[in-house]
Amino acid sequence: MNYLTEERKNSLSSEYVLGTLQGRARLRYQSLLIEHRPMRQALWRWEKHLNALGAALPEQTPDASVWVRIQARLGFIETPPDNVVAFEAKSQPENRWRWLAAAASVAAIALALVLIRQPAVVTPEPSQIAVVQGAKAEALWLIELTESQINIQATDQFSPASNKDYELWLVSADGRAPISLGLLPEQGRASLARSELFDQVTVAALAVSLEPPGGSPTGSPTEVLYTAQLVAM
Amino acid sequence: MKLLCATAEGDRRAFNELYRLTSGKMYAVCLQLLQRKDLAEEALQEAYVRVWHNACDYHSDKGSVVVWMVSIARYRALDILRSAAYRREGRESDLEQSDEHTPEDALFDQRDRVRIDECMDTLEDGQRQMIQLAYFRGLTHAELTEHTGSPLGTIKSWIRRGLQKLKRCLEP
Repeated sequence: MNYLTEERKNSLSSEYVLGTLQGRARLRYQSLLIEHRPMRQALWRWEKHLNALGAALPEQTPDASVWVRIQARLGFIETPPDNVVAFEAKSQPENRWRWLAAAASVAAIALALVLIRQPAVVTPEPSQIAVVQGAKAEALWLIELTESQINIQATDQFSPASNKDYELWLVSADGRAPISLGLLPEQGRASLARSELFDQVTVAALAVSLEPPGGSPTGSPTEVLYTAQLVAM
Repeated sequence: MKLLCATAEGDRRAFNELYRLTSGKMYAVCLQLLQRKDLAEEALQEAYVRVWHNACDYHSDKGSVVVWMVSIARYRALDILRSAAYRREGRESDLEQSDEHTPEDALFDQRDRVRIDECMDTLEDGQRQMIQLAYFRGLTHAELTEHTGSPLGTIKSWIRRGLQKLKRCLEP
C-alpha cells in the first residue's frame, strides 16, 4: 500500500491526532513519521486544525502547586517541598503501566531480562528495556537503557545482511526528525552513550534502520526496518 | 511567540510568564480529557517540562504557539488516559457519571466557537458526535461502539468521512 497518497497521509494523521489510531496501526504510523517529512507535515496540519478545538476550551486555573512542581522538576528550585517528592513517587508507576500497556510482547521482555541479567555482577537496576523483534516476532536485539548508557546485545537469531550496518534511532513523540543513537552490534554486546534527549522528550519508539557501512550518510534513517517500545521495569 | 523564543534560550522569567498566560488553556484540555484533577495536574506538569525542553523545536508550520502547546498537553493526557492504571481505576464508571453533567463536561459546552466549529456544523450528526467524543473525551473506536451502541464499522466510517469533510472545509 502506498502510504504517501494525500488521502492516506490525511486519514492516518487526522486519526493519530484525534487519538483513534491505535495499536499496530499507531506504531506503523510512528515509523512512517520517522521516514517521511511529508507525513510529519500532514501531522502538523492536523494538530493545527483539531487542537484549535482544545484551545477554545474555557480556561481553568490549575492549583498553584503545579507551577512549584514544574520548577522543581526542572531544577529551578533547590529543595522541592515535601509534597513534590510524594508526587514524583506516585507518578513513576503511572509511566511504568503506560509502557507495559504498550509492550508488544511481555514474554520477549521477560526473556530480555533473563539474558541481560545473566552476568552475575551487581549492576544497577535496568531503567528501561526494549526488544527489537523481527518479522516473525523473533528477538533480534535486546536493548537496556541505564542511567548512563545503552547496552545492546545482538541475539543469535539475528543474521546481518552483508555490507550493511544497522543503526539505532530515538523517535520522539513530538514529531521531530529521529535522532541517531549509534550503530548496533551485529553480534555480541556493545554499549552506546545515552542521549540526553531521553530525559527531555517523550520517546515514542526506538527504530532500527538498514544503512550503508558506517551508518546513515544523510543523518536520517535510510530504511526503517523495525521499531520497538521502551518498557520501564 | 516572543516568550517562547526567550524560553528556548533558557529565560526562566519568560517561561514563568508563558505558564501564566497559557496554563489555563492547557489545564482545561487535560481536565476535559482526564476528568480528574490529580491526573490533569500531572499531565499539565509533564507538558510544561516538555515545553521547556522543546521550545526551540517550535516553528510556525506547527500552528500558533498555543495550539502547539495544546498538542503537547493533549498527547500527554491521552497517554495517561490509555494507561492500564487509568483503566483499572474504572474509566467506565467515570463515563457514566459524566453523562450526568459533571463540571468538566460543562467545559466542553462553554467553549468559544472557532473556525473549525463552523466546519463541524457541516458534518452529519453521527460524524460530528463521534469526532467530538473522540476529541474531548478521548474515546477509542471500541469505546465509542460501547458508548453509542453503533457497530464498529459505522463508527469508523463516521469518523473517517467526518474528518475528510472537515479537511475539505478547512483547506478549500
